Amino acid sequence: MADEIRLSAQTRNEFGKGAARRIRRASMIPAVVYGHGEAPRHVTLPGHATMLAVKRENAVLTIDVEGEEVLALVKDVQREHRRREIEHVDLVLVRHGEKVEVEVAVHVEGEAAPETVVTVDHQTLLVEVDALRIPESVTVSVEGAEPGTQVLASQVALPDGATLVTDPEALVVNVSAARTAEDLDADLAEAESELGIERDESDADAEAGAAPATSDES
Amino acid sequence: MLVPRRLKHRKQHHPKRTGAAKGGTTIAFGDYGIQALEPAYVTNRQIESARIAMTRYMKRGGKVWINIYPDRPITKKPAETRMGSGKGSPEWWVANVKPGRMMFEISGVAEPVAREAMRLAIHKLPMKCRFVAREGSEV
Repeated sequence: MADEIRLSAQTRNEFGKGAARRIRRASMIPAVVYGHGEAPRHVTLPGHATMLAVKRENAVLTIDVEGEEVLALVKDVQREHRRREIEHVDLVLVRHGEKVEVEVAVHVEGEAAPETVVTVDHQTLLVEVDALRIPESVTVSVEGAEPGTQVLASQVALPDGATLVTDPEALVVNVSAARTAEDLDADLAEAESELGIERDESDADAEAGAAPATSDES
Repeated sequence: MLVPRRLKHRKQHHPKRTGAAKGGTTIAFGDYGIQALEPAYVTNRQIESARIAMTRYMKRGGKVWINIYPDRPITKKPAETRMGSGKGSPEWWVANVKPGRMMFEISGVAEPVAREAMRLAIHKLPMKCRFVAREGSEV
């Protein structure tokens, strides 16, 4: 777990879109805290501090709800998808030592063999882990991986105490051979002729200085 | 080019362009995406042009996903035709894209390559768009 994140919250007594919009206009974020069979508590969180806190996936926050401190895991963040502003946050109560199921991001590192394309089929893995020891990501190395290499969920190294919930046979990372230059050119030429796109010398010259031919993802 | 294989009705009403996208607003498959910021009808030719632009720039690295499908026929009456005599004949296929929709995604390339490839693709599209990266990535 990273450094403890503390937020102070106020109990919310008015509901509905009008009240929620008033809260957002005041640079606050409406949120709900629930779990452990308790009645849900509707709260208001400070806007900027919450935005910074939820940047980290699966953040566990210490929330001071009018004097009472609770530990809560960020379950869901609803955003306005054009302006990317946070509209609402769902927080689920957790206790010390409690196990929770969370989606952990898969991070690919290393450089596969030349002439390959690395595709991540599962961007996250569902794991059961101690609520206060949630990893930021799990790392899969593809250093020198040859075409045909497949990394299954069961082959991903998880941190101590974490248990895989995702199907162990699920494909996480797939390393496949890059298309041959002739194949790619033929495909693009066919597509361009269908569209009536004509290419001249200057296009070919510009392409010569374009992107590298193979993947350099790390 | 993307064209529906079979269809129930040859001529449809024009799809509504109001409102925002309800789904498909986040990056689901790749690492980087093109998100629409305005509503528009995107034709199958524009989708294919954008795909070609990205693939040409990325060359053999990376993978492209197209998250929109041109499933709506748009009709047009011939030039210099009097009004009436029924609806025109289908001329184009369009995808009805609303603001927020993630239209294209790519993976398997570095961020600068993805950014430039998608910049070229955005020029082929009829609306304002933006380049977005998967949440948590360092862009």
